[in-house]
Amino acid sequence: MELFAMEGISKTFINGELKEDVLKGINLSLNVGEVTALTGASGSGKSTLLTIAAGLQDATDGIIHFNGKNLTTMSSEQIRKIRASEFGFVFQFAHLVPFLTVEEQLLLMLDVAEIKLKKIEKKKEVNRILTLVGMDHRKSSYPSSLSGGEKQRVAIARAIIHKPKVLFADEPTASLDSKRSIDIMVLIRDITKNYNITTLMVTHDEEMLKYTDRVIRMVDGLVFAGSN
Amino acid sequence: MNMAWKEMKKNKARFLILGSIVFLVSLLTFIISGLANGLSHDNAGLIKDLPPGQFYMTEDAEEMYNLSKINSETQDAMLTSHENAVALSIQLGFINDESDKQRSVAFVTSTDTDLFEQVSSGEVILDRSLEEEGIKIGDILTNNQHHGTFVVKGFVDQKKYSHAPVAFISTEDYQEIYRTSEMQLIFIPELETAQEFTGLQSYSNQEFLQTIPSYSAEQMSLNMIVWFLIVISGMLFAIFFYMMNVQKIGLYGILKAIGVKTSALFRMMWTKMVVITVIALGISIAGSQLFNSLAPNGMPFNLSIQTTVQLSLIFLLIGFIGATLSGIQIKKVEALQAIQQGEV
Ligand SMILES: Nc1ncnc2c1ncn2[C@@H]1O[C@H](COP(=O)(O)OP(=O)(O)OP(=O)(O)O)[C@@H](O)[C@H]1O
Ligand SMILES: [Mg+2]
Repeated sequence: MELFAMEGISKTFINGELKEDVLKGINLSLNVGEVTALTGASGSGKSTLLTIAAGLQDATDGIIHFNGKNLTTMSSEQIRKIRASEFGFVFQFAHLVPFLTVEEQLLLMLDVAEIKLKKIEKKKEVNRILTLVGMDHRKSSYPSSLSGGEKQRVAIARAIIHKPKVLFADEPTASLDSKRSIDIMVLIRDITKNYNITTLMVTHDEEMLKYTDRVIRMVDGLVFAGSN
Repeated sequence: MNMAWKEMKKNKARFLILGSIVFLVSLLTFIISGLANGLSHDNAGLIKDLPPGQFYMTEDAEEMYNLSKINSETQDAMLTSHENAVALSIQLGFINDESDKQRSVAFVTSTDTDLFEQVSSGEVILDRSLEEEGIKIGDILTNNQHHGTFVVKGFVDQKKYSHAPVAFISTEDYQEIYRTSEMQLIFIPELETAQEFTGLQSYSNQEFLQTIPSYSAEQMSLNMIVWFLIVISGMLFAIFFYMMNVQKIGLYGILKAIGVKTSALFRMMWTKMVVITVIALGISIAGSQLFNSLAPNGMPFNLSIQTTVQLSLIFLLIGFIGATLSGIQIKKVEALQAIQQGEV
């Protein structure tokens, strides 16, 4: 059995009289150690699918299998626990906590994931991950003094420091220039390989598809295998 | 990790402003409350310092004790049945000092008791405030309605009635000045539940204080200011935290998305609120106690530590409620909407 799979996921938004079927029965399983890219036209439902997969909103219908459990029947507290300790998140904007230093952002994530380590070991782990994303020299900086690409590196570090099984990324490179975007893509791919993470990434930038293992195209509420 | 602390460290100015506002409002509250208490002593120290008990005046006096005349049979019966009961009368009047200057005083006389000063005919014991105005022990005072003189025997602290210093005189002298043989009031100390006596109406100490016309008016307006300030400070908290929370909707959404518990976000807010309030109140308590010891003698200011602590607890409670009400937004934030909103 796969680590993460979706079966017959549908989502209907109701706006007053208007009913909009954004997802129409999606079947998709993700491979461990691979970056799966989700691409498609704007408004095709990529973000909707990703946030449903990540337990941030409910599907209208369908089942989400994660690690032998069914996410769709869990209580919101159970899902929160899974998000905290088994999922990692990267978004278009880094969304760092403005009043915490780079190091503190990561220590916070270790607390949220309830990782039981001595303080000194936590700091060591933070250093290791920051070195991995090339941000160890900005350990005590606040987000306001970092560039967009640097913030995104810290966000990636925050998304993986607690060793999640699944990494969700929604347009992680959309706010960066092409050189920085490639750096971030390479980073995500390497991390996915080296830590055996299952990564689902949304992007509408065709250039970035080169750095992923598998491409899924969304058209009209359904998914199709694509090529990179 | 203590996020609240980190946030306050990073945004010192913001929290310093809130802290100083809480400090100023609470200091003002303490000072007005000290003034209310001081004035109430100045107005009715004579009654306030009595042990709890029951006052009796005639029903037909309709709450105006100086219209009350208790007949001697009733008085004798009550004094015999309750051994520490005391009959007393209070009347505002004038006394002339040695240089014939008229001073207003409250003449008080009572049957034998430890609760009120006892003097023999031709003597008087005065409130300390008259000593500060130059009257000395041994001075001879007079009253226009009285044939004789009063020798000042001594002074006592904090005996005021209706803002006038009290003059304790003997019952004979009182009866001569006011041409009456009846006492106005009976006070039975340590009587918790009022006992019925025909033709008499009972009042607890607190109820009796309210019958002093200036007393209730004064206390009501000052206490209203105190409560007003407390409510204002609660609203300040609510508004301030509301504004801070609104700015952070996006951040709260992200934190929820990565798995931070809503309760942790509330705890973060409460910590900030408690730290700011406790520090501000601490400074304000110190300030008001300093004011208490430095306040000029003539200023009726009396602030006990107990009152300050009580008010402080109310401040904390109100701040807590204010912050919590404003924090309901935290509960409502959806992780999703924050993610889609862009940079925080
Ligand atoms: N909360 C919502 N209520 C109503 N309609 C919604 C809601 N969220 C998304 N939609 C609709 O669902 C459709 C898909 O939205 P979604 O954000 O998933 O698109 P997307 O593929 O991520 O687009 P983009 O590339 O622009 O980010 C859109 O038509 C959008 O208007
Ligand atoms: Mg999208």
